Amino acid sequence: MWVWFFKLGSPKWFYELSGKWLPWLIGAMVIFMTVGVVWGLVFLPPDYQQGFTSRILIVHVAVAGTSLAFFPLMFVAGTITLVWRMKLADMVAKHAAILGAWFSFITLATGSLWGSVMWGTWWEWTDSRLVSMLFQLFLLLGVISLRSALEDSDAAAKACALLSIVGCINVVIIKYSVEWWNTLHQVSSPVTTDASSPNGPEFWIATLIMIVAVYLFLSVSLILSTRNEILERERKAQWVQDLVLKS
Amino acid sequence: MTEKQTTTSAAFFATLKRDLLIAFKKKNDIVNPFMFFIIVVSLFPIGISPESDRLTEIAAGVIWISVLLASMLSMDNLYRSDFEDGSLEQLLLSPHPLFFLVLAKNISHWLVSGLPVVLVSPLLAYMLALPEEAYGTLVLSLLLGTPIMSLVGSIAVALTVGLGSRGLILAVITLPMSVPVLIFGTLAVQSTLNSQSPLGYLSLMLVMLSVSVSLAPLASAAALRISVN
Repeated sequence: MWVWFFKLGSPKWFYELSGKWLPWLIGAMVIFMTVGVVWGLVFLPPDYQQGFTSRILIVHVAVAGTSLAFFPLMFVAGTITLVWRMKLADMVAKHAAILGAWFSFITLATGSLWGSVMWGTWWEWTDSRLVSMLFQLFLLLGVISLRSALEDSDAAAKACALLSIVGCINVVIIKYSVEWWNTLHQVSSPVTTDASSPNGPEFWIATLIMIVAVYLFLSVSLILSTRNEILERERKAQWVQDLVLKS
Repeated sequence: MTEKQTTTSAAFFATLKRDLLIAFKKKNDIVNPFMFFIIVVSLFPIGISPESDRLTEIAAGVIWISVLLASMLSMDNLYRSDFEDGSLEQLLLSPHPLFFLVLAKNISHWLVSGLPVVLVSPLLAYMLALPEEAYGTLVLSLLLGTPIMSLVGSIAVALTVGLGSRGLILAVITLPMSVPVLIFGTLAVQSTLNSQSPLGYLSLMLVMLSVSVSLAPLASAAALRISVN
């Protein structure tokens, strides 16, 4: 039963398997992304209150939802690295941190764009989601800078795994404490527009399609960069040299 | 084995005593973060405003953030000299659970760097025109919050102890993690100022302290084993 799990520890096995998955994942991503983007940005009727700015939310909500998945992912990868010493888990974790930082940044950027129109401000400290996303970005940058500071890749793997686990617990604590902080400070808040209020089935179906599309995009980019990392780290292995010489 | 076996509690107290002794031999390591704290706090009225009304508003936050920065500075000494002279390796080789030895080091670090800051905080609170009724809450919140910062910061120090030039990486890793402590510490003081009971926030900080005492040394010990091999 556990065979497939331990097979995952073998970079070669993952490389071959992910090579078979990739075309399907990319195909599904292109379909969902096209439908979501065209529907959300072209056909969706403008919101009766927000006008055309509601279209930003199609992208924003999908990216924001996805960026919450990174720390749990890194928590799992970190645990696997520390417990089972799997090299593959660390390769995934390395690129998850980088991708996670980008996703958090895009979440903040699209959120600011939308907020600048709807709330009249680019940044609002009283919104707890903004603040906790900002600190998630900081924690991810901390993990990235720790990895770049440690040269030895084995020690870096374990250290980053430990920091990811601590960071994941911290993100949860920060999220709740920031919400607490806000409910107290938010006496007269300019933020009244509920970001998730659906103004019709069309809106949330388009958002749902975009969420699936962004998750597929995340999987594809994570797999691609992990494959790249495998080739680089295993460059001394026979199968990698065979592979490179063949192509 | 010809030597007498020591108990874990004896090892705990020996580590504590040793670290305190070293700290008092190298007074610079104690005095500099403390001076840094006082100087940073005194810069705020000059930079923002000397009016006591505005200072009252920001007093708790200024003191808390300065404490964070000062503890970051002093944290650097936690394992570095032990790592350089090899005694950290001896600590890892000891038969006693590393959890308690790390805890002893953290406690001695807090006694040397955290406690003085807590003790001097009423004076700085007075200089920042914080109303008298909030002094007690400020001291209590710092008393609960500074050990949390020592314990959590210790994880990051342990992770980076092997780095030759770690520069600001310690701050980049640790400062985002101190957000919850900062929030509850300042909220406790604010609620006293609004004549509400700060007990809720203080008990939350007590919870965070108990959780960090029981879990953070585990993570620090794991981090030390990663860094020193």
